Amino acid sequence: MTMFEAILLTIITASTPLLIGAIGQLVCERSGVLNLGMEGMMIMGAACGFAAAILSGNSYVGVLAAILAGMAMSLIFAVLTLGLAANQVASGLALSIFGLGLSGVIGAPFVGAKRDQMAKLDLPVLTDIPLIGKALFGQDPFVYASFALVIGVWWFLARTKSGLVLRACGENHASAHALGYPVLKIRLLAILFGGGCAGLAGAYLSLVYTPFWSPGMTAGRGWIALAIVVFASWLPWRVLAGAYLFGGITILQLHAQGAGVKIPSQFMAALPYLVTILVLVIIMSRRGGQQAAPASLGTPFVPDR
Amino acid sequence: MQINRRQILQGATALAGAATLGQPAFAQANPLQVGFIYVGPVGDFGWSTMHDVGRKRLEEVMGAAVKTTAVEAVAANDMERVATQLARQGHRLIFTTSFSFFQPTMRVAPTLPNVFFESATGTQTAANVSLYNARFYEGRYVQGVIAARKSKSKTIGYIASFPVPEVVHAINTVMRGAWSVDPSMKIRVVWVNAWFNPGREADAARALIDQGCDVICAHTDSPAPLQLANERGVFGFGQASDMTRFAPKAHLTSSVNNWGDYYVERAKAVIDGSWKPGDVWGGLNSGMFRLAPFTNMTPEEASEAERVRDALSTGRLHPFDGPLTRADGTVAVPAGGRATDDQIRAMNYFYRGIDVALPS
Amino acid sequence: MRIVLTRRDDAPAWMALVSPLIAVALTLLSGAVMFALLGLDPLKALGVYFISPISDGWALQELAVKATPLILISVGLSLCYLSNNWNIGAEGQFVMGAIFGGWVAIATHGAANGPWVFPAMMLAGMLGGAALAMIPAILKTRLSVNEILTSLMLVYVAELLLDWLVRGPWRDPKGFNFPQSVMFDKEAQVMRLMADGRINLGTPIAIIVVVIAAIMMARTLKGFEIRLVGAAPRAARFAGFDEKRLTWTVFAISGALAGLAGIIEVSGTMGQLQPSVSPGYGFTAIIVAFLGRLNPIGCLIAGVVLAITFIGGENAQISLRLPLDVTRVFQGMLLFYVLACDAVLNYRIALVRTGGAAA
Repeated sequence: MTMFEAILLTIITASTPLLIGAIGQLVCERSGVLNLGMEGMMIMGAACGFAAAILSGNSYVGVLAAILAGMAMSLIFAVLTLGLAANQVASGLALSIFGLGLSGVIGAPFVGAKRDQMAKLDLPVLTDIPLIGKALFGQDPFVYASFALVIGVWWFLARTKSGLVLRACGENHASAHALGYPVLKIRLLAILFGGGCAGLAGAYLSLVYTPFWSPGMTAGRGWIALAIVVFASWLPWRVLAGAYLFGGITILQLHAQGAGVKIPSQFMAALPYLVTILVLVIIMSRRGGQQAAPASLGTPFVPDR
Repeated sequence: MQINRRQILQGATALAGAATLGQPAFAQANPLQVGFIYVGPVGDFGWSTMHDVGRKRLEEVMGAAVKTTAVEAVAANDMERVATQLARQGHRLIFTTSFSFFQPTMRVAPTLPNVFFESATGTQTAANVSLYNARFYEGRYVQGVIAARKSKSKTIGYIASFPVPEVVHAINTVMRGAWSVDPSMKIRVVWVNAWFNPGREADAARALIDQGCDVICAHTDSPAPLQLANERGVFGFGQASDMTRFAPKAHLTSSVNNWGDYYVERAKAVIDGSWKPGDVWGGLNSGMFRLAPFTNMTPEEASEAERVRDALSTGRLHPFDGPLTRADGTVAVPAGGRATDDQIRAMNYFYRGIDVALPS
Repeated sequence: MRIVLTRRDDAPAWMALVSPLIAVALTLLSGAVMFALLGLDPLKALGVYFISPISDGWALQELAVKATPLILISVGLSLCYLSNNWNIGAEGQFVMGAIFGGWVAIATHGAANGPWVFPAMMLAGMLGGAALAMIPAILKTRLSVNEILTSLMLVYVAELLLDWLVRGPWRDPKGFNFPQSVMFDKEAQVMRLMADGRINLGTPIAIIVVVIAAIMMARTLKGFEIRLVGAAPRAARFAGFDEKRLTWTVFAISGALAGLAGIIEVSGTMGQLQPSVSPGYGFTAIIVAFLGRLNPIGCLIAGVVLAITFIGGENAQISLRLPLDVTRVFQGMLLFYVLACDAVLNYRIALVRTGGAAA
């Protein structure tokens, strides 16, 4: 394995959970719902995924449990914000507190338990591509899933009627409702999709990235995933770019430290954040600055009858 | 308010009186309440987990004579309140298990003169404040010796948390141990700016292994770096607890924290009235930490490691004997001298040959 | 079955009082069930949670110390959120306030200084918080860079800057190279109000801020402008209000208040700079702002309520030996109930059989 391949591989590992979490949240936000409970849903995915994998002895059961746990968490959020039109920002933050606590309770019996990393899935032929082949196609199933999700979400939002309707709900829920679309039902599905993705990202952490359970192991990755959606201006391809930019800088600064670059480590650690801001500033100044946020983002919708 | 505090004082005096009488029946009716304040969650699998293991050991040994309470993930901002609340609930011995609690402990201790505080690391004692810590660097020296034997690339990878003296002198000592076997040994250091962030720790391990390090030392809490060493076919050491099972092929030894015996000793001292402020810095011979059984080593390598460990334990070998030369070439300790405990505790320079930046 | 909401335009005044009471009743009920399932005496457990933090003078002082930063930050954030400015980086502005204010304390350390030191620290702290908050504001108004991202990312940058300062240039020279600044001089510490507790000048300052903000929002043109820009930006533009300048103003105010909270916390409860100076106050204050319905008085009440649940959680760990995570689950549940019961206030709720009334 060359150095280039090795670094690429590490970047993929670091970026995948951010990408999976962010792409789910993107769908949710495009439907007009801002769920700041990412951290809580993600860590529930990590806890439940690990617990289920240990109990069943099967990683895929763990993955399924993680997705369901993320969806269950997002359902609480949906009941509050759609069913009762509660404030989305506060509900999301409450969900984060709740999830951090509940994951600790569920995971407590599994602290210190050990599991082997989930098996990699080599794609034949493709792994023979020079330079990137091994890194891209000799990966665990999550990595393929993350790319499939980006393509799928892009296709769904840009090419299907349902995607158009979902975007309409996010841009102007009153008009979408007037046109006869079930705004709340669409948003419910979008929230559940976001929750499922967050759970899947959590499973990646506890089954592949660092295969064990420990409370608080998401360490703020949910927040970064949220920021990446904003960075991406709510576009699927840009989520891919954003996740890999952030993951890439994170890994490169670790490599630079190992190589003996004499810059205080705190400045190196701040780089991913600063570069993300800087790149967004450059993008926005070139585009002449129009905001791309869904117009109804964060506002509750209550149909008038 | 006034009444409240007086009540606590009265209660405490009564308890102290009872304790000096040493009547077991009465002690059972009024067990010594011992509080523990942790900086991380009990399940952090490192520092706080091992203090909690010590707490359980205290309960096991002392039985009904003690009753313990743990408060997890306390911020320095909240430490004074938690300590006072513990005292108000009748706790007379409180272990504050982080350096970030040291100043709050020094502030709150004079307001609670009948409570005995034990701060894990700190810079001074007080009438009712003791300090305790372990000389983990002795284990680091052994790690250095083993690493030099196992490494083919002659490069150690060190995953460091923060540039504090505890970590700086540990890095120095690892290299001292390594150089005692092979003066050509090198080290690469990555700071992850966290005590606990499994993902980042694993990323750092990947980066170090990619850069040719084939023995990984970790100065963070989680088993992630060791697990990764196992996956990538290099060697590593466990931190805080015995992590053998996380890395059956990679694990060489672990530095296992063991606070329980100290906790028992101090609780007994409070009960029999002999508690005095002290400053304990226990080495391998104190039992405050031990090295897990050596694994993945040839019998010769293992016996060499044991020899070094025993030499450190008995004091025949001291990792801070001079000459010690700073990275900038100045002499810190001349030949024939030995760094004092205060010098070790405050160490903020790397030895010559360790090419790593430190904030100044 | 499904829930159907109908907007209430005529919410009677008594509903505003009843809604929190329902939330409290539901919380007590499910809390009692949860504690009973955990094998605890429900009444005792609820007492530890809700009564012990307000049971005597000392506890009330501690409550004030815990609530003060939450109130200060949330009042500022309310102004942002009312005018559709999504500042979620108060945590970083809090840290920046601690850094700027702490610099004054460290620079004057040991020198002959007078009573001007603490006011200067407060000013510097407000300046620091506001300066950091202006970055997202300027990027938003000049380049339409989304403020959610910039304000959040700057939190981590501010934290790392503080970390570097206390491990490097601002490290206490006599502190064995541990990561901490010198202990602030007496003049650089917030005045304590009582001899036997930790309540300090910060709490009255927070209350004054609440009163000023309440008057501003209710009685002044600026308050009207903030609300109008948020509720009807087009109308605000027609009315001649400058949306960009307003964005700068609210970011500056909320940054300054978060910075003020930061320096009060550092010089009041810690007495020095440490690598970490906040247990997440800046993020918790976001919930406080919304629970307080973005109203200054509401923030005061919500700040106290949240502080009770934090201290109640601590006390539950001490008196009931509950693990931290269980106390967090309970806190999350309580917040869910409070948020849900707000719906009772704003909407008429009906359960309708599926397929019945069109939604």
